[in-house]
Amino acid sequence: MNALARAPELPWIWMAVAAYAVTAGVAVAGVARGQQREKVVLGMLLTALVLVSVGIAARWARTGHGPFLNMFEILLSNLFSLGVVYAFAYWRLPVLRPTSVVVLPVILLLGLWLLVLRPAGGPLPPTYDTPWLWAHVAMGKVFLGTCLLAVGLAGVMWLRRTRLSAWFRDMPPDVSLDALAWRIMTLALVFESLMLIAGAVWAQGAWGRYWAWDPLETWAFVTWLALAAALHLRLSYPISPRLGALMILGVFVLAFLTFFGVPFVSMAPHKGMI
Amino acid sequence: MLRLLSSVRLTLVGMALLCAGVLLSYNRPAAPLWWLVAPLGLLAVNLLAAIAVNPGINRQGGLLVFHLALLGIVVLAAVGRLVHLDGVVEVTEDSAFLPGDVQVLAKGPLHPMGFSKVFFVQGPFTVDYGPELSRSTTRSQVLAPDGAGRLVPMVVGDDHPLILHGYRFYTSSNKGFAPLLTWIPEHGKPVTGAIHMPSYPLFDWKQDNRWTPPGGAEIRFWLRLKTPLRADAAWTMDRKDSSGVLIVSSGGRRIELKPGQTARLEGGSLRFDELRTWMGYKIFYDPTLPWLFVVAVAGVGGLAWHFWRRLGSSGPERTGRAAGFSAGHGALHT
Ligand code: HEM
Repeated sequence: MNALARAPELPWIWMAVAAYAVTAGVAVAGVARGQQREKVVLGMLLTALVLVSVGIAARWARTGHGPFLNMFEILLSNLFSLGVVYAFAYWRLPVLRPTSVVVLPVILLLGLWLLVLRPAGGPLPPTYDTPWLWAHVAMGKVFLGTCLLAVGLAGVMWLRRTRLSAWFRDMPPDVSLDALAWRIMTLALVFESLMLIAGAVWAQGAWGRYWAWDPLETWAFVTWLALAAALHLRLSYPISPRLGALMILGVFVLAFLTFFGVPFVSMAPHKGMI
Repeated sequence: MLRLLSSVRLTLVGMALLCAGVLLSYNRPAAPLWWLVAPLGLLAVNLLAAIAVNPGINRQGGLLVFHLALLGIVVLAAVGRLVHLDGVVEVTEDSAFLPGDVQVLAKGPLHPMGFSKVFFVQGPFTVDYGPELSRSTTRSQVLAPDGAGRLVPMVVGDDHPLILHGYRFYTSSNKGFAPLLTWIPEHGKPVTGAIHMPSYPLFDWKQDNRWTPPGGAEIRFWLRLKTPLRADAAWTMDRKDSSGVLIVSSGGRRIELKPGQTARLEGGSLRFDELRTWMGYKIFYDPTLPWLFVVAVAGVGGLAWHFWRRLGSSGPERTGRAAGFSAGHGALHT
């Protein structure tokens, strides 16, 4: 009860995670039965997004700053941004809809992880008072969201090798999914590059250096390089869609570790720099 | 030879080496520079060769812009490293920045050493603190020349540098109190100067320093601040609210001085004129910064253009494996 009084955003966040769980359930059941109930899924997804938004707003009002600071806030904001990117793609790109079987459980996992973290807050360092923070964070979020779309396709290409292959009968063949996934990865590269640029401008303003190979910068760069290498691998070798799908997963794992692993180890997003 | 140099397989080797170099040098400040420079050099040569001979890259406008930008970034970053300077300096309130006080932490071999041209006068500053001494906004007032050479007031902060002749001065957590003293020797002219006490509030418990006046014996100083440090609530560090006594000890004598008071010591007398502050700045010089930004943004623009053109075209990919979005059952246009 005490925790609730101190963190009034919690009930909204719990409801949002529950809504994501229901959405994922409905989506998986729909794809399994061959009738996707797309409107219901999209409606549920929007409901989850509204609930997360209210949770973020409540927390914002309480702490006086946006969700930029610690692991709890980073997960919370990703619950929002990944949901927004996926909802948009789900609406605009019907071919992607069966990927909900892969994508929604991933978002749900983040939500479950959020539930076990303490909703502690802290003061926002003065270096966060800049529009570059917004540019950097927004680009990073779109990057991860875009990457997750490709992961959805990669997951489908792998699930097709299992007993679940019938679920994806109506989707285009792997070669088409592969081409689409890599187009999306090129777009992810655009946003990741923008994230790095905005981050460097911010770092110059905040700490008087634009690049210093701190853990987060290093891992973000390695992710960028891995994505570039994957694109060039496809140019120089005949990579099968399934191998390509593995490379997409690999890039996503690196991005995931950068976003949720490094801050986890080092507490503040840029360790020791605040 | 050019074929080999321009091969995308070589790009993969270069990228793998760069990745290894990055991972090896990270968290290891003493790592040899060539761990990064060698793979970057290889990639740059590879890219130049590819741009020269590979139509896959030099016939596709967006992709070409993107790769040229990558090359531009590497070149600019290299130039930046050659001419850069990292340093720190402490400037006393109501005094001018003294180029001789700059402590150079690192500089490129081609740095022009132009900070002797830099001039500004330090004014007062305030630093906001939250509970548990979490440092927040710093507002450091300075008088600095504007475009027309007139001295105008400006406010410098951790993220609002003062930029003079390409040198960026950022305030830092390193700042403190500086008692202004006048030494009046028995024979000769008086000298006035400030001694910088250790950084405050970091060294709140150790506000001492020593100085040997010309013709006198070593003097030790302690600053006893009137208001004790507050770690429990928010407060603002501001000279206006700070006062203290200066405890002077020399030749076995110990004297407490308030601002304006004088003590007779061996070889002369010492006047504690007033309590001032000093601000520690981080200095950063790298004239390539704006260019890096422009080139990087142009590069991403090129990549976005490449993506967009591919999106619209239904033609086969160069690699001939798939037909992209349009094969995705008209995915984008439904
Ligand atoms: C440094 C040496 C590099 C060389 C020699 C090189 C060469 C090439 C070549 C020849 C292409 C062929 C395009 C085509 O045939 O359609 C290409 C595409 C591409 N390169 Fe590079 N590249 C280099 C570095 C990079 C880096 C560091 C990135 C960073 C992300 C990058 C990103 C891309 C992208 C996104 C494409 C388009 C891929 C596609 O459309 O599928 N390149 N590169």
